[in-house]
Amino acid sequence: MISVEELKQQLESTLNQETLAWLNVSDDARALFQKGSLPTRKTEQWKYSPLTPLLKQSYFETQELGSPGDANGLSTSADAIQNTQRLVFVDGQFNRELSDYKGLEQQGLVSLFSECNEQQQQLVKQHLGRVCPLDQHIFASANYAALNEGVLIHVPANQVVETPICLVYLTTPSETPRHHNTRILVVAETSSQLSLIEQYSSSGQQAHHFHNHLCEVVLSANAKLLHLRAQVEDEQICLVNGLHVEQAQDSHYEQHAIAFGSQLKRNDVIVTFKGNNAYSKLNGVFLTKHQQHLDNHLVLEHAAPHCNSDTTYKGFITDKSKAVFDGRIHIHPHAQKTEAHLNNKNLLLSNQAELNTKPELEIYADDVKCSHGASIGQLDANSLFYFQSRGIDKASAEAMLCLGFVNEMVELFPNPAMRSFITENLGRFFNDVDKLKSLWSLES
Amino acid sequence: MSQPILIVKDLVAEVDGKTILNGISLEVKPGEVHAIMGPNGSGKSTLANVLSGRDGYTVKSGEVSFKGQNLLDLDPEVRAREGVFLAFQYPVEIPGVSNMQFLKASVDAVRQHRGQEELDAPGFMKLAREKCKSLNLKPEFLKRGVNEGFSGGEKKRNEILQMALLEPSLALLDETDSGLDIDALQVAAEGVNALRDHERSFILVTHYQRLLNYIVPDYVHVLAGGKIVKSGGRELALELEDKGYSWIQ
Repeated sequence: MISVEELKQQLESTLNQETLAWLNVSDDARALFQKGSLPTRKTEQWKYSPLTPLLKQSYFETQELGSPGDANGLSTSADAIQNTQRLVFVDGQFNRELSDYKGLEQQGLVSLFSECNEQQQQLVKQHLGRVCPLDQHIFASANYAALNEGVLIHVPANQVVETPICLVYLTTPSETPRHHNTRILVVAETSSQLSLIEQYSSSGQQAHHFHNHLCEVVLSANAKLLHLRAQVEDEQICLVNGLHVEQAQDSHYEQHAIAFGSQLKRNDVIVTFKGNNAYSKLNGVFLTKHQQHLDNHLVLEHAAPHCNSDTTYKGFITDKSKAVFDGRIHIHPHAQKTEAHLNNKNLLLSNQAELNTKPELEIYADDVKCSHGASIGQLDANSLFYFQSRGIDKASAEAMLCLGFVNEMVELFPNPAMRSFITENLGRFFNDVDKLKSLWSLES
Repeated sequence: MSQPILIVKDLVAEVDGKTILNGISLEVKPGEVHAIMGPNGSGKSTLANVLSGRDGYTVKSGEVSFKGQNLLDLDPEVRAREGVFLAFQYPVEIPGVSNMQFLKASVDAVRQHRGQEELDAPGFMKLAREKCKSLNLKPEFLKRGVNEGFSGGEKKRNEILQMALLEPSLALLDETDSGLDIDALQVAAEGVNALRDHERSFILVTHYQRLLNYIVPDYVHVLAGGKIVKSGGRELALELEDKGYSWIQ
C-alpha cells in the first residue's frame, strides 16, 4: 500500500504525455495539480470516501491498452436505440471501429479534439476548464493536465438534434491495473436542443481500472439538454467522475442517472445557474452491495434569481457496502425567487451496510422557497404482507420490493431502450432474482 | 350435507398483549356467504387478519381448520396458495412495481402450488385484460404501479381483480365497502357476485348493512367484545340497521 503523497507523484508522472499543441493547457493545469493535494479523511468533501482502493495497487505502471476485440459482443444501449449515433471509448481510447457518428461529424455537431477545425478549436479553448473550477477538484485538474484527446459536442443556435448522441465507455478485463482519462465538452448554443447518453460498461469481470472522467456542459440561453447516464461497469473499477453544468437564462437541464457501486466510485454533479429562469432536474439512483463504495456529491449553485431546481436521489445499500450522499443547495445573495428542492431516500438492507447522507441548504437570499430532506428505511412490513397474502413467498416479495424501489427512478428515464438496458443490468446486479426478470418484460 | 371448508373453534387472539378475539367459533360451508358485523373495535378486522396470517397477532388458544388442515400452522403465502384470499381494507401502494408484474407473480405462485400450468405472458395479459373489463377498469390500470395513486374505488376494485385472478376457495373481504360511493360499491359487489358459486365461500367483514343489499349473505353474525353475540339470517342485518348495535350489547 502506498501513501496519498506517493499516489500524487504517480499521477503526476502520467501528466507528461504529449498534449494537443493548439490547446496548450498543460503547463497551467500541471501547476494547478502540483499546488493541490489529494483528499484525505480530513478533507470535508471526501470525509467518508478514503482513497484506499487507489493506494492498494498501482494503476500507473502499465500503459498496456485493451484490444478492441475484448469489447466486441458487448451489448450497449446504443445497439437498441435505432438511428443513434455513438462514440465508443475502449479503456479510455477512442475506438473508431466500434463507433458510428458520421452524420454528427458531417454536420459539425461532434468532433474529437484531435480532429477539430479552427472554429471548433476556438470553442474548446473558450470553454474547456472554465465550467469546472479546477482548483477545487484535484482529479479534474489531473484529467486536464493529462489531456490528449476529448470529445466536443457543439449544437449551433436553434438546432434541434432529434436522435440521442451516445457516448460509451468500455473497460476490458486486465491482469494489471490500468489508468485512463476521458474528457467531454458540450456546448449548446441559444435555443438548441439535444439529448446525450453516457454509458459506462465493462466486458466481463476483473476490469481493474482507474477511470477519471470529466464532462463540462455549457447551456446557452434557452438551450435544452436531456442527459442520461448509466454506470453499470464492473465492481473492480475505480471511477472519479466530474460533471459540471453551467446554465444561462431560460435553459433547461434534465439528468437521469443510475450508478452501480464499485471499489470506489465518486460522482460529482455541480450545476451553476448563471442566468435567470433556468431549470434543472437531477434524478438519480445508486446501488451498492458486497464491499462496494459509492459517493455522490451534488451542488446546486443558485447564482441567479428565478431559477428552479429539483433533485431526487434514491439509494439502495446492502451487504457490507458503503454509500454517501452529499447534496447541497447554495442560494447566492441576489438569487431571489429561487425554488429549490432536494431529497434523498434510502433503503438500507443490512446491519453492516453504511450510508452517510447530508442534505444541505445554504441560503443568503430572503425570498426563496426551498426544501431538503433525507430518509433511511427498511422494507415495509405492510407491503411484504401484501405480497405474501397473494401467494408470493417472502424472499421474492423482498426482491420485488427492492427492485420496485429502484425501478421507480428507472421508470423516469424517458428513453425505452435505455430503460431496458438498465433493467437487464439490474437483473445482473440482483442476480438471484432471475425469475423476476421475466416479470419486467411485461412492461411493453 | 357438505363438510365445512372453515371451522373456527374458540379462537382467542391478542395484539400487543391485549385480547381482541375472545373465543370465536364459526363454521363456513362451501358456497356460503357469511357477514360479520359489529361496532368499531369489536375485532372484525382482527379476525380477517388472523385468518390470513398477518404478523403481530398472537393466537393464544383455539383452532382454525381450513379444508381439514391446521390453518394457523401455515405461512401467509401458503394460506393464499391453498385458497384463502384477503381483500384489504387499506390496500398497500407499491410504486415501482407495476400492477401487471404483481398480478403475474401472484398468479404464477398460486397456480404452481395448485399444480396448474403456468400462464405465458400473452396468455396472462389476455386474461388480466378480460377481468379488468368486467370490473370496468381500463387496461392502462395494469401498467400503473400497484395501487399507486389509485382512487379509493380503484383500490377496492383492484382487490376484486386479484380475487378474480386467484380464484380462492375462501375470500375474506375486510370492509370492502368502506369509503366507496354507491356506484363504486355496485361495481365491486357485481365483481364479487360474479365469483359466487357452489364451491366458493365468502366472509364479508363490514360495519354497514348497505353492502349486504348488494351482496346478499346467507348468515349474519354480530361481533362484540371479541365474541359472536348473535347470529341469524339476512334479516338480522336489517334489524341492526334499524336498532343500532347497542340493541345487541
